[in-house]
Amino acid sequence: MGLTVESRECIETPEGGVVEELVVNIGPSHPSTHGVCRVIAHLDGEIVTRAEPVIGYLHRGIEKMAENRTYLQVVPLTDRLDYVGSMYANWAYCRAVERLAGIRVPERAEYLRVVVCELQRIASHMMSIGSAAADSGAATMFIYAFDQRERIIELFEALCGARLTYNYVRPGGVSFDLPDGWTETALDFCRTHREALNEMDRLYFGNVITRGRLKGVGVLSADDAVAWGASGPVARGSGVNWDLRKHDTYSVYPRFDFDVPTGSNGDCYDRTRVRLYECYESCRIVEQALAQMEPGPIRTSGMPRLLAPRPGDAYDHIESARGSLGVYLVSDGSVRPYRMKVRSPAFCNLALLPMLAEGHMLSDLVVILGSLDPVFGEVDR
Amino acid sequence: MLPDETVIRSALSRVTQAEVSASTLGVVARVPAAEAAAALEALKASELDFVMLVDLLGTDTGEAIEVTYHLRSFARDEDLYVKCELPYDGVLHSVWNVYASALLPERETAELLGLTLAGHPNPARLLTIDDTPPLLRRSVPIRTTEEVRDR
Repeated sequence: MGLTVESRECIETPEGGVVEELVVNIGPSHPSTHGVCRVIAHLDGEIVTRAEPVIGYLHRGIEKMAENRTYLQVVPLTDRLDYVGSMYANWAYCRAVERLAGIRVPERAEYLRVVVCELQRIASHMMSIGSAAADSGAATMFIYAFDQRERIIELFEALCGARLTYNYVRPGGVSFDLPDGWTETALDFCRTHREALNEMDRLYFGNVITRGRLKGVGVLSADDAVAWGASGPVARGSGVNWDLRKHDTYSVYPRFDFDVPTGSNGDCYDRTRVRLYECYESCRIVEQALAQMEPGPIRTSGMPRLLAPRPGDAYDHIESARGSLGVYLVSDGSVRPYRMKVRSPAFCNLALLPMLAEGHMLSDLVVILGSLDPVFGEVDR
Repeated sequence: MLPDETVIRSALSRVTQAEVSASTLGVVARVPAAEAAAALEALKASELDFVMLVDLLGTDTGEAIEVTYHLRSFARDEDLYVKCELPYDGVLHSVWNVYASALLPERETAELLGLTLAGHPNPARLLTIDDTPPLLRRSVPIRTTEEVRDR
């Protein structure tokens, strides 16, 4: 089911006239919802008066399933949360387990985690920019962005054998060390990726049609971004300078020199462009991390097969491509988590849709949804 | 970063009797469920400046439902957890007029833990269909595919 008219209803305007309110159902399976999301749009002519996202089509009960698996068996489940950026959920979960069980991670493993997660950020942003561009009619950009993403997926495939659900970051380390020649390929990618980013910036963000389509659409103020719990590029596009890699920093991020790009207008243009600039910064981090990395173990020695952390709860979060991704874990001392809760940035950012879409055209609704970059595996969990 | 326990205690003392302690989670303030909204309002308005509700979640502790509010202060770069306990047939009072970001997580928590949501503009189900049992209760078993098929 794509786009269907749900109802037509006559409503009286304050001026005394009568207009017809059209309720249009978009989705749950529609290309511009980027997954299985249904949006119920109330229209006055072509203007959206109310847009309500309906979610839950991808709810697999991952948090409940985690209660029936051992700590290590949960890692593959976290892959299925944000399937565009699986490494993040792996890492956030593993950090929570490590905090709960008091596991120290070898330095090389921390560097490897940073390298794969920054590459993952580029891959995820390429997906986001490409599909958001396709939503606004720029199909060329989609191909350019996916070409870049494919090269990262190939790097991941060489590293751990999987293209989408990596299961790479494990409690206590990572699953594989870098294969021969991987570093050179990754550095070569960073070099050529910058040129591709320059071209994309000129081709898409410099385009007069794109500017007309994205500028001033779905404006989110910095205060609203904070009040609605927005994070990641959505909050930074509005000028909220909150990046967990800089503030509340973790892992080996303090050792790298990088900037956090922020926007100023909080519109779709700024949100999408912040993602593009983050790709430059990710390239910088990858290059620094690969240069600083020393040989050493990639897993903590003496890790038991069955982890049974002491009773208690722990929360840890990382900066994913969509924002602050956190995992809250409760242990009762057994080999299975008592409770796992994922703080999903896509879920929090999606809550902004009704507010941002109100008063805009129906065609802008699609662009606004694209600029929020929700991944429904993570929204529904 | 961890906030100062005494500062939190004094900020909360005006509205409620709070138990503030440090744990593996961080600094946790336990408040009575009826005063959770007032406590959050006080924390947001005070000089502590907890402007963001990062997350809201519920846990079935075996005796009650424990609701956790995760707050964030940007000015002080601090995180605080406010916890309260509700009985199994309890009512979760919405705090959306304090923190707008509570709107969706509250619906999710009420639905998955079997609580009644009050004071919410749209207390409908969010993730599951009607008549689904509260999945995150410990009393609701996890069924395998075979068990569901042969049911």
